[in-house]
Amino acid sequence: MPISDNDFIQLRDFIYSICGMYFHTTKKYFLESRLARRMETTGAKTYPEYYQLLKSPRGAEEMKYLMDEITTNETYFFRNVPQLTALETKLLPEIVETKNKMGFRKLRIWSAGSSSGEEAYTMSMMLLEKRSTLLKDWIIEIVGTDINETVISQAKEGIYNAYSVRNIPDIYKRKYIKEENGKFLLSPEVKKFVTFNKLNLYDDSKMIFMKSFDFIFCANVLIYFDTASKSKVVQHFYNNLQPYGYFFVGQSESLHGVNDKFKTVHFPGGFTYKK
Amino acid sequence: MDKLAMIKRAEELVGTIEDLPTIPVVATQVLLLLDKPDVRIEDVADLMLTDQVMTARVMKMVNSPVFKPGHEITSLRRALVYLGLKHIRELALATSLIDAFDSDSGNFEINAFWEHSFGVGMVSKIIAEKIGYADIEKAYIGGIIHDLGVVFLSQYQREEFQAILDSIKDKPIKLVDAEIERLGTTHCEIGLCMARKWNFPEVYCELISYHHTPTEATIDPVLCAIVNLSDLFCSVRELNYGGKEWVSFNLSEEEGWKILRKEAPNLANLDVERFCYELDDAIPDVKELVSSIFNSQEQAGD
Repeated sequence: MPISDNDFIQLRDFIYSICGMYFHTTKKYFLESRLARRMETTGAKTYPEYYQLLKSPRGAEEMKYLMDEITTNETYFFRNVPQLTALETKLLPEIVETKNKMGFRKLRIWSAGSSSGEEAYTMSMMLLEKRSTLLKDWIIEIVGTDINETVISQAKEGIYNAYSVRNIPDIYKRKYIKEENGKFLLSPEVKKFVTFNKLNLYDDSKMIFMKSFDFIFCANVLIYFDTASKSKVVQHFYNNLQPYGYFFVGQSESLHGVNDKFKTVHFPGGFTYKK
Repeated sequence: MDKLAMIKRAEELVGTIEDLPTIPVVATQVLLLLDKPDVRIEDVADLMLTDQVMTARVMKMVNSPVFKPGHEITSLRRALVYLGLKHIRELALATSLIDAFDSDSGNFEINAFWEHSFGVGMVSKIIAEKIGYADIEKAYIGGIIHDLGVVFLSQYQREEFQAILDSIKDKPIKLVDAEIERLGTTHCEIGLCMARKWNFPEVYCELISYHHTPTEATIDPVLCAIVNLSDLFCSVRELNYGGKEWVSFNLSEEEGWKILRKEAPNLANLDVERFCYELDDAIPDVKELVSSIFNSQEQAGD
């Protein structure tokens, strides 16, 4: 069922206010198709009816299902190209320079909500490429955490399907990926920088020990939390970040109204947060 | 670098060009007419209508969703009434600018240049509204003309400017810094010299000159700050000259932002993230306006 401009704007604004995820006008048909599945399941016959459902007491739970639909297949290597370009062009060299001055040659990166590990391994590949130049003799630690043990096992295994690896530039693919019977295996050198652990982001007692990160990534995770939980979790990220570090959320996500300490740093095609 | 030295250097560069575009005859007449104390809108409209290309451009600029009039404006006279007499001068200048540089002979594809310019015009208008700036149309037109100097460089210093662009490609180096290093001046001072040659009102001369350093402005620093920020936002979304410059900025540290925060404390609550996403959504409108101005000869009557 084609969604009218008014219905689209109404739903988009509501989703943004609750989840902090913005649907660009160009994503209208995408949203339409994902809404269709939820409307079929819930029996909502029109978009306004579904909107009422989201606003009702059952809405919070329904919103989680909708977010699941929206983020399905959203995990793959080299997903957020503007972000990676900004890292390579400016943010990483800047942090390396800062830490070189302090004589502290160690880089710590956290992929929070790491799912099957693509984001963490993307960083590993990117940094490996700089081992003989920018990051010569540096210690690299990449930590992936997720609440779901099944995806953690998958991440540790490091075996992917064609969909996951489709965006990896050839230069990286040739060096770090091996194809075997239609499956794609990561080379041991990519895996050696990365560790995966189970972690619940709500768990304050564990969160306070995730210290001294230069970059923290948390894409498509905070959209599931209510504002109070978001604020609490983001405050942990803030505390766990080095003073010169950067915090990244997913494409089209927003922390507005969640944390007023972070500053936005803009680059072509995106932005990140800084202390 | 010393601003006066840079202006002097810019004067030299602009001075060497003999065939610098001039303002179209009708625009010059409009400007003369506007100098008369008893000028009437009807007279200006009659004069402008003798140049149908100019008329069509004015109508498109005023009716575009980028400018968002409350309702469609169907006649030139109404467009002029809507904008007010004081803005006709700027509008004539802006359309002249389009005429003078309506070609692909420079380093930029001309559409990419005007998409950036009109994009900055659109965002300037939005920011002006948000902070309660008194003259929203001035912000719109100021945004459109801020990069006058870039057009000059891309047309008359072609090789040198290409070398500058090549030297900063995909690097986090500011265009103005590379310009200073290679030319001893920047597009800001060059734009200023051209604006003076064309008798732009002083406030626009200042804007062109200080759109990268708004704190140095004295006549209207707020206008300079508005255009400065709009320029930055357009440069990180898809109105960035096709990615010629790799721009990045920490909003809280920008001098333009500090000026506007002081002017309008409510700006602290701005949803910056959503502002960026909405800007993405408005890009097709900007592209459509630019292509309608340049790629069709459609006319508008009174």
